[in-house]
Amino acid sequence: MMDIEAIIYNPILRAILGLCLMGAVFGGACIAVWFERKLSADVQQRYGPNRVGPHGLLQLAADAIKLFTKEDIIPKNADRLLFVSAPILLMGSVFLMLVALPFGAIIINGQSYVIAATQMDISVLYIEAVSAISIIGIFMVAYSANNKFSTLGAFRNFARMVGYEVPLGICVVSVAIMAGSLDIVKIAEAQSPLWFIIMQPLGFVVFFIALMADMGRHPFDQNESEEELIAGFLTEYTSMRFGYVFFAEYIHLILGSMLVVLLFLGGWNLPTFLTDITIVGVILPTVYYLLKVALVMLGIIMIRWSLPRFRIDQVVDLSWKKLLPLSLLNLGWVIALGLLGVY
Amino acid sequence: MSGIIDISNIANSYIPVAVILIVALVMPPITMLIIKLVSPRSKASAKYATYEAGSVPVGNARIQFNVEYYLYAIAFVLFDIEVLFLYPWTTIFKGHDITSIATAEMLVFIFVVLFGYVYLIKKEALKWMK
Repeated sequence: MMDIEAIIYNPILRAILGLCLMGAVFGGACIAVWFERKLSADVQQRYGPNRVGPHGLLQLAADAIKLFTKEDIIPKNADRLLFVSAPILLMGSVFLMLVALPFGAIIINGQSYVIAATQMDISVLYIEAVSAISIIGIFMVAYSANNKFSTLGAFRNFARMVGYEVPLGICVVSVAIMAGSLDIVKIAEAQSPLWFIIMQPLGFVVFFIALMADMGRHPFDQNESEEELIAGFLTEYTSMRFGYVFFAEYIHLILGSMLVVLLFLGGWNLPTFLTDITIVGVILPTVYYLLKVALVMLGIIMIRWSLPRFRIDQVVDLSWKKLLPLSLLNLGWVIALGLLGVY
Repeated sequence: MSGIIDISNIANSYIPVAVILIVALVMPPITMLIIKLVSPRSKASAKYATYEAGSVPVGNARIQFNVEYYLYAIAFVLFDIEVLFLYPWTTIFKGHDITSIATAEMLVFIFVVLFGYVYLIKKEALKWMK
């Protein structure tokens, strides 16, 4: 048994696993883009992409070729250094998030091994911290372009994101109190009999809304608002530079859905009589977990195509005047439950 | 996690972080280099102008902005640091009752935060466009 553990906990092998997960997430983002285009077409009673390949499946390859063969333009008024480094910062932010997030677990003989690039005892705090870097990335995108539409988009994005960062943090704290740990693996495993969505439904609602705002998903994408701001903060970006910022958004969507499942929807926990069977224990927890992630993503995408975009003052008021007090209320609820000895 | 080998060591658990960070930082520049090689180029100068819906760009985009945005930023800094103080406490809360110093101190802290929040609302600092 010692040998297996030596292999599993070897940091270099874990780094290689992390690179594979990076590739998997890239592929997942491609599928998510195609899926969202198809789904939005269904919602709006259109066909969506249907020319390239069966059901438009090769559309993404076509788009990638298009992005690669577009001329890369840096406007002459732009700040070149910031313009070039902003997509790099955004990619760094999402991939640093990926490192600490588990992609499932393998259970052998009742012992669970997590599929993640690394494990740390403060992974929730770490994920919060690195995901907040994307605020700076988006602001760099807009400020460097020196374009009025971009600047408007960036300021809106900034006002929105700082507002939702606080309720998000308080909800994560409430979850961590209940699990008694800041390790995301321990938090997922603490939900073995009861999911945290049942213990703190209010916390789930606040976390879900705040996370959607944090990812810049539709009702909260004031930084883009195509109708008024052309493409918002991305107006001056062309070619694969645009592609990277776009991809960073979709990868953030996938990782955010994982975060929801890990913190509130029970992670990969299955009843032990199932996982005691070796073959089931190896495959089923990961499948079950990724299925839940896909369902959360489906929900987020459906919300995007069924709600109108909010105005910026409505969004900011929602975060400061409603979500922040509600998240503090949830924190009080969790503390009260703890003092009564419920968990 | 029974095995206390390698990655459970704090320093070692950040090796994958470093490797992936390097890959993530190197990937976009390499892609841009490939694009520079394969994409077509033209020498028209107008395409380097800032986009302003087709008209000639006027002035600079980096102007002084509404002060409201900065008030939100200050409020954010205050509250986010307060949330940060809650993090270490989360791991030790379990098992304490209301009389223990760990719980009492943090409850006092949360009430101070709440007081600050009510003050901000009363001062209308969090109101969009006064």
